[in-house]
Amino acid sequence: MNKTQSWNIITLFAILIFGFAIATIIAPDTEYSETENRTLAQMPDFSLEALLDGSFASDYEDYLTDQFVLRDNWIALKTNTEQALGRTQSNDIYFADDDYLIEAHTDTFTAEQAATNIQLLAQFVEKYAGQFTDGHMTVMIVPNAVDILRDKLPAFASPYDEGEYLEELQVAVETAAGRENLWFDARSVLQEHRDEEIYYRTDHHWKTLGAFYVYQAWAEAQGYTVPTADSWQIETVTEEFEGTIQSKLGIHTVTDSIELYLDPEDPYYTVEKDGSGEISYSLYDYSALATKSKYDIFFGGNNALTQITTRAGTGRKILVIKDSYAHCFVPFLLSEFDEIDVLDIRYYNQELSVLISEGGYTDVLFLYNASGFAEDASLARLLY
Amino acid sequence: MVFSSLLFLFRFLPAVLLCYYLVPRRARNLVLFLFSLVFYAWGEPVYIILMLVTILVSFAGGIAVDAMKRGGRPGAARNALIVSLAVSLSLLAFFKYADFAIGTVNTLTGAGLELLNLALPIGISFYTFQTMSYTIDVYRGEANVQKNLISYGAYVVMFPQLIAGPIVQYKTIDAQLRSRRETPEEFAQGVHRFLIGLGKKVLLANNAGELWDTITAMTVSEIPALTAWMGLAAYTFQIYFDFSAYSDMAIGLGQMFGFRFSENFNYPYISRSITEFWRKWHISLSTWFREYVYIPLGGNRVSTVRHLRNLMIVWLLTGFWHGASWNFVAWGLYYGILLVLEKYIFGRYLEKLPSVVRHFYCMFVVMLGWNLFMFGDFSESLTYFGALFGSYGAGLWNSETVYLFYNNVVLLVLLILGSTRLPKKLGDAFLACFAGKDVVILVARGLLYTGIFLLSVAWLVDASYNPFLYFRF
Repeated sequence: MNKTQSWNIITLFAILIFGFAIATIIAPDTEYSETENRTLAQMPDFSLEALLDGSFASDYEDYLTDQFVLRDNWIALKTNTEQALGRTQSNDIYFADDDYLIEAHTDTFTAEQAATNIQLLAQFVEKYAGQFTDGHMTVMIVPNAVDILRDKLPAFASPYDEGEYLEELQVAVETAAGRENLWFDARSVLQEHRDEEIYYRTDHHWKTLGAFYVYQAWAEAQGYTVPTADSWQIETVTEEFEGTIQSKLGIHTVTDSIELYLDPEDPYYTVEKDGSGEISYSLYDYSALATKSKYDIFFGGNNALTQITTRAGTGRKILVIKDSYAHCFVPFLLSEFDEIDVLDIRYYNQELSVLISEGGYTDVLFLYNASGFAEDASLARLLY
Repeated sequence: MVFSSLLFLFRFLPAVLLCYYLVPRRARNLVLFLFSLVFYAWGEPVYIILMLVTILVSFAGGIAVDAMKRGGRPGAARNALIVSLAVSLSLLAFFKYADFAIGTVNTLTGAGLELLNLALPIGISFYTFQTMSYTIDVYRGEANVQKNLISYGAYVVMFPQLIAGPIVQYKTIDAQLRSRRETPEEFAQGVHRFLIGLGKKVLLANNAGELWDTITAMTVSEIPALTAWMGLAAYTFQIYFDFSAYSDMAIGLGQMFGFRFSENFNYPYISRSITEFWRKWHISLSTWFREYVYIPLGGNRVSTVRHLRNLMIVWLLTGFWHGASWNFVAWGLYYGILLVLEKYIFGRYLEKLPSVVRHFYCMFVVMLGWNLFMFGDFSESLTYFGALFGSYGAGLWNSETVYLFYNNVVLLVLLILGSTRLPKKLGDAFLACFAGKDVVILVARGLLYTGIFLLSVAWLVDASYNPFLYFRF
């Protein structure tokens, strides 16, 4: 390289490192990433202590990475490059057939947390199995798309078999309860319908249709009124849903539709969140459709305790302990229970035993998705 | 701090370049010294004290040795050297090998002594060797004494090569520390070298590492032989691209500040014998051992028995330098024995074989060596060795093997080609072809550098995996 060329190279390099350095300094920080659906790391508070123990250093690096200018575009660049090089997965997400993006959950079920959670749920079941007798306690763990939609995965992909984990869990809870009819096999139901639209293509949740099939089978097992597909007025509220999996890849593939299964008789019920005293009259929050996280139309997203009162007149009162897979499932319960308390234990800071002893429940439903259950770090609260 | 991080690229590097080139020439070593301390202290500030002690002891040692030599007291100079080396080696022994010694004592005697569980100070094996080379060279009269503490400190803690080498011998850099001229040509070369290294690390080594991690996360007794070989190949490439990329970045950064460090790797994976491999792998470490251990012991100019002893000592130490655990010692001895065999037994037959066979032999031996190296534990190495040769009845391959292969085939091809001289030859051919057409060359360089840079940043922003293997040493 001669002098002129050298200066040109130096200028290019300077533009790259100083340009992005300045851009990252002047770009305003954001609290929350709409695309990634998570709060981003913020500038850590400086203290001598944090500096000396190294925590300031690592927090600052997290901050820099999270707030990096054009973050979504960088992630998209990586995903696109990997795809161009013939990879069929990126960030532990499969590029599956029919435009499905499917999370592999590679380390989820072999992690220590997964084993711990089996024990915790077994202990919970043991604790309350006497109070909620035959048919009044149900454990329903919904497998993820990677398990049910196996046929759609790239050729030769062999992810962890969720069935193994679920079997182990089933044995543990049945042993703990000392009886067999409290595990509901959602997996078989969904497998039967695996060619239908039961999972979102871009999001980690199941679609309302999947929830419906599982409810239908469960209602039959429970001896409730068994609904059919035309018992509902199905309303497609959006076709522009781009879910969390797509966000993790930073790319735009296809969009999903979200369906609500509405009771044509439009029954009256009230909804109260976290004992706030504020009553609303719908489980659906249409304002979520204007945001990125459109799945929040169900329940308006996560909150600790949602109490629903209906005029079903069955004399039954149920406690649903759940994660967000339950959000599109709970509306099916409206005609079967007078009261439905929906509890997200991740956000609930009070004692569960008090809630159960004072709640006067006739039934308990434990409803999680498999990977969400295996990864949940707050299940020890089941025993509080 | 590591080079392949957003923090380094967009905070540290712009800041140090700016300060370095804004201050007057005589303050530049001070700028390097101070920034290097920040670089070292980032994330693990307590060991900065250890670093300063090391600098002060060897600095004082150098002055004492020099003064006594000038005063005509060689015996005293020798004593000063021994004290200085003893302090350096004790610090290294304490921080790196104490738990190993305690563990060994516990195993042998059942004493049940408590382990210290100290975090290994980053780069201690590298900078200890550098400070030792300085005092020894002053004693031997091969290097001038350095009386400026700032310049000496800048040498020891100089951030480009602090953490993972190359191990720079003081005498090779003495003149540059006293006066050096930074030129645009050198700087641009440095940019080229640094970006090549960045790409090798972030795009090749990290992806190879991810493949290795995927395979190593499986139950070893259930993985079919070809998957095991793919895993071993991934590790083989990861350690080379990781480590040589670090040296590339170090050499490139050095050039940006007007320093010339010696080369550390010279395409080791195209070697055709183990003797050749070790002339091309981690050259600065082999050189160090040759100059400060092997030759002082008599090298090869002694009886065959003594020569064998010398080789074994050097390779025992080389293995031990890599880590405080028996499998590293075994790895060192493995190479010691192979080198002896090549020299005295089958080297002459080897030379008559076609070069494909020799290359195959070399890589086979090197990969089995990494199998010994990569786990830090004998029994795991042995288990994995079993998987390589299908001793668990898991067959030759399964669907996972096929999946991993077709998902990584492009990567593997890039890794293989990247280990050869081909990229360099292509580059040279391009330059020759367009000689005189500066604009074409400039555009090509611009695209190459920008491309590597942008892709590397993309991988860093979305980084779930970014370790530095040689951090442990």
